[in-house]
Amino acid sequence: MAEIPFPLPDLGEGLIEATVLEWLVAEGDQVERNQPLVEVETTKSALELPSPQSGKVLKVHGAPGDVIKVGDPLVVFEVPDDTAGIVGTVPREEAPKRRVRLSANLDDD
Amino acid sequence: MAMATGRHAGASAHHTVEGTDPGLNVQTFEPEDAAALPPVLLIHGFASSVALNWVQSGWVPALLDAGRRVIAVDLPGHGLSAAPEDVDSYSPSRIRADLLQIATDAGARPLVAGHPDSGLDVIGYSLGSRLAWEFGATQPTLVRRLVLGGPSSHDPLAEFDLAAAQRFLADGTPIADGSTSALVTMALASPESDMYALLSLVEAVKEEPFDAAEAVPRQPILIVAGEKDERAAGIEALRGLVPQAEVLLIPGRNHINAVTARAFKQAAIEFLAA
Repeated sequence: MAEIPFPLPDLGEGLIEATVLEWLVAEGDQVERNQPLVEVETTKSALELPSPQSGKVLKVHGAPGDVIKVGDPLVVFEVPDDTAGIVGTVPREEAPKRRVRLSANLDDD
Repeated sequence: MAMATGRHAGASAHHTVEGTDPGLNVQTFEPEDAAALPPVLLIHGFASSVALNWVQSGWVPALLDAGRRVIAVDLPGHGLSAAPEDVDSYSPSRIRADLLQIATDAGARPLVAGHPDSGLDVIGYSLGSRLAWEFGATQPTLVRRLVLGGPSSHDPLAEFDLAAAQRFLADGTPIADGSTSALVTMALASPESDMYALLSLVEAVKEEPFDAAEAVPRQPILIVAGEKDERAAGIEALRGLVPQAEVLLIPGRNHINAVTARAFKQAAIEFLAA
């Protein structure tokens, strides 16, 4: 098994942090890619962050009301080693693209 | 799971209303496994958009997962819609006419007994709730069920101090009225919205302020608001007009962050599945 951290992604608009509103998964849960993980609120809006991958939620960071900085750990996933190898080939610079996926529906016309 | 894979199919047909193309951005989303239920029209709030109010908040994925076909529209001057210069383009009655045309073009058909997928369900938030209330009241043969999120019984936009807002934008003179100041702050924070279009909308709303008693929807209604939403106080006044309505208050949430609440989505999806 390998541990994969999911930091709070770049939310755009110069936002540097978000407040946790409510966790939609708990430690130990098995989640699918795109399954809603957590509701957060920024100074501009409230949003739901979908899971970037399938796996087991090993650790969640921040209780409701806590502020998380962009780039700080939000979730740690546990995935089988073979899956981790594949994920591990994705360069770190991919992180901002996850933000795009939140609104991908708007961008593919 | 369908989730965020719903594609942007665009409007299948396109018609103008009274010869004018309002230039509104329409997005339709198709579920992988469609339920035998009507499409759902989503109407966002002031200084928000389809992206903020419905996509990033998780509403569109949740509705697609529930097998619902979704029709979402950016209001004029908001999101990816055009921002016309004339105030008439922003009048609530004009917007309702445009929504009717858009829903029809997207395939919504009048209610027919025995056809569970006929008609249209509507979810509105904030200003979108006001529009949904009026839309339901004036389109009883089309609208099946209504979900009104963060509604007001009065009209915060109608009480907006337009002159003070214009002075503030021109030279920074502070705005005395708290509600006006809060709305301007919200509008300035909205990355996609055009400030002058938003003021045109306010101007148009002042000409046609919300009068909930003027046209009352008779459909089944679910009213949802954050418990800390200062507008939630007005819900009882609305309920006096629509005794059939169910009311859900979300603990700990305010007008801004009730939008994403799971409890709101679940209640709406269950209510609209009936």
